[in-house]
Amino acid sequence: MAVKELSDGIFEVQKSGKRFIGTKNAVPGSAVYGERLVEAEGDEYRIWDARRSKLAAMVLKKMNIPIKSDSNVLYLGAASGTTVSHVSDILTDGLVYAVEFSPRTMRELIQLCDTRLNIIPILADANHPASYAHIVEQVDVVFQDVAQPNQAQIAAVNCEQFLKGDGHLLLSIKARSIDTVANPGKVFKEEVKKLEKEFDTKFQILKKQDLAPFHDDHLGLIAQKLLR
Amino acid sequence: MKIITWYGILTLEENGVADCELFNKDVDELAEGLLHQNAAGARAPEAGFDIRAPAISFGFVENDREYDSLLRDVSIRAGKLRISRTNTPDMRIIQAVEALDDIDDAANALSERLSEWYGLHFPELGFSSEQLARFVKEHGARSNIPADDPIFEKASSSMGAELPPADEELVKQFASNICDLYDNRHSIEESIVRNMGEIAPNLSNIAGPLIGARLISMTGGLERLAQLPSSTVQVMGASRALFKHLRSRAPSPKHGLIFNHPLIKNSPWWQRGKIARALAAKISLACRTDVYSGELSPAIKTGLEKKVNSIKSSNPKPPAREKPSGKGRGKGNKNSGGRR
Ligand SMILES: C[S@@+](CC[C@H](N)C(=O)[O-])C[C@H]1O[C@@H](n2cnc3c(N)ncnc32)[C@H](O)[C@@H]1O
Repeated sequence: MAVKELSDGIFEVQKSGKRFIGTKNAVPGSAVYGERLVEAEGDEYRIWDARRSKLAAMVLKKMNIPIKSDSNVLYLGAASGTTVSHVSDILTDGLVYAVEFSPRTMRELIQLCDTRLNIIPILADANHPASYAHIVEQVDVVFQDVAQPNQAQIAAVNCEQFLKGDGHLLLSIKARSIDTVANPGKVFKEEVKKLEKEFDTKFQILKKQDLAPFHDDHLGLIAQKLLR
Repeated sequence: MKIITWYGILTLEENGVADCELFNKDVDELAEGLLHQNAAGARAPEAGFDIRAPAISFGFVENDREYDSLLRDVSIRAGKLRISRTNTPDMRIIQAVEALDDIDDAANALSERLSEWYGLHFPELGFSSEQLARFVKEHGARSNIPADDPIFEKASSSMGAELPPADEELVKQFASNICDLYDNRHSIEESIVRNMGEIAPNLSNIAGPLIGARLISMTGGLERLAQLPSSTVQVMGASRALFKHLRSRAPSPKHGLIFNHPLIKNSPWWQRGKIARALAAKISLACRTDVYSGELSPAIKTGLEKKVNSIKSSNPKPPAREKPSGKGRGKGNKNSGGRR
């Protein structure tokens, strides 16, 4: 059994011949959404399933995750907190601001916040960053997984408001229209183009990667804000 | 310039934050404040503005750690408040309406099964749904039907197969479960009627409590319903049928939900469109009254009755032209509701 840290707080755990990625459980003994817990080298890890999390898929696709243990992260489209819980594990010395606009889903996210000390739940529409600008500070990383047609624009306005100079954007882009199932590559190109236009050359795209087979029709993208 | 943050109102001048009017350091108060952040005259922080630093420099909190934990407490409290406030009585009505639909789906499926099952034994019975379930629950095998029952003749000459005692027990149990579903349905309906009388007395009075509850359920809440134009209210429910029609070749919709209203159902086809328009207008008015005053206003109903009477007396006969046919019906269809 061996543990290797791939990047801050993200581990590759080998157990009985299998390899997993996981995060060190900030609340030992308890699972969040039914994920497996494994002991390795005296620590407990929560197995992180790439099929349930775009961020985990990005890790497996060898994208360099720019989240540090002391980062502050703005997470857009938190849902019930599957991925947020792992980000919360990674941030041993930072906060994750978790924005979600469905009250029904927020109900579950808040239960997660009750057990973890570094998640700030925000019930708001990510289209309107001004509606939570009185709560959210400047952050090192914006992670977005809203799966909306105007995803590029949502990322742009939030980075404009909250992302520090030289901060990173992690984006999950969903190919949306049906006929593009045949050719998601084309949609991705268009989305990236749109993004570049929204960003108006304020960003450098570091890496983009198809998230298949973990997530069909999804592209992962990492970009860095350019200092001005 | 003044900007608002979760912990206070900052006054910005050219060279930075000049002043900070700190809020009371109380989790409940701060959480309430988050919900009503649009305090007069203050704006959201500008892009790129760091809201954390002034909280510490103006002494709201001592350090980053305290900032983190207080902000967390306040956000969680605010989130819980907002969620509990979205659980309004109309949300419970919506759940009840959806439960009715679920029960109908389940009861229909089970009743069909009962009909097939019991049909092996007594195919001539001719009952269905609730009536069948009540019958089977009460009698079981057809040999138990007393001689003075009108069904007795049919039962004793039935071509159906025997029903062994073990099967009879099973089928009775099955029927009894279906009856429970129907009983449950009745009590849910009663509770909807009661609750509608409390939260939407005017809507109940005009549309009827059950149609009113369905309108609320379709829009997602009483307030939203009150904001819809009455032309939308008039055709609501038709679009759902329309989607179903497009998806699954169900019959194309003739009309919206309010066409189940007795005022429309019991009127001749050529008056229905006009009455629907009048009814929808009064439904909108009723909802707004429910949202803004909550008091029953009998004038809405008298107004509606007057309007309907005048429609009836000025359109006593079908229009001279024959009932429009073929393509010409297209537009009238929605309003006429003439054909089933
Ligand atoms: C694909 S799910 C996110 C899954 C989540 N990131 C995870 O991995 O656990 C998308 C979520 O974004 C939310 N969402 C969509 N549009 C939004 C918006 N404009 N503002 C905030 N949340 C939004 C949806 O309610 C949904 O919960």
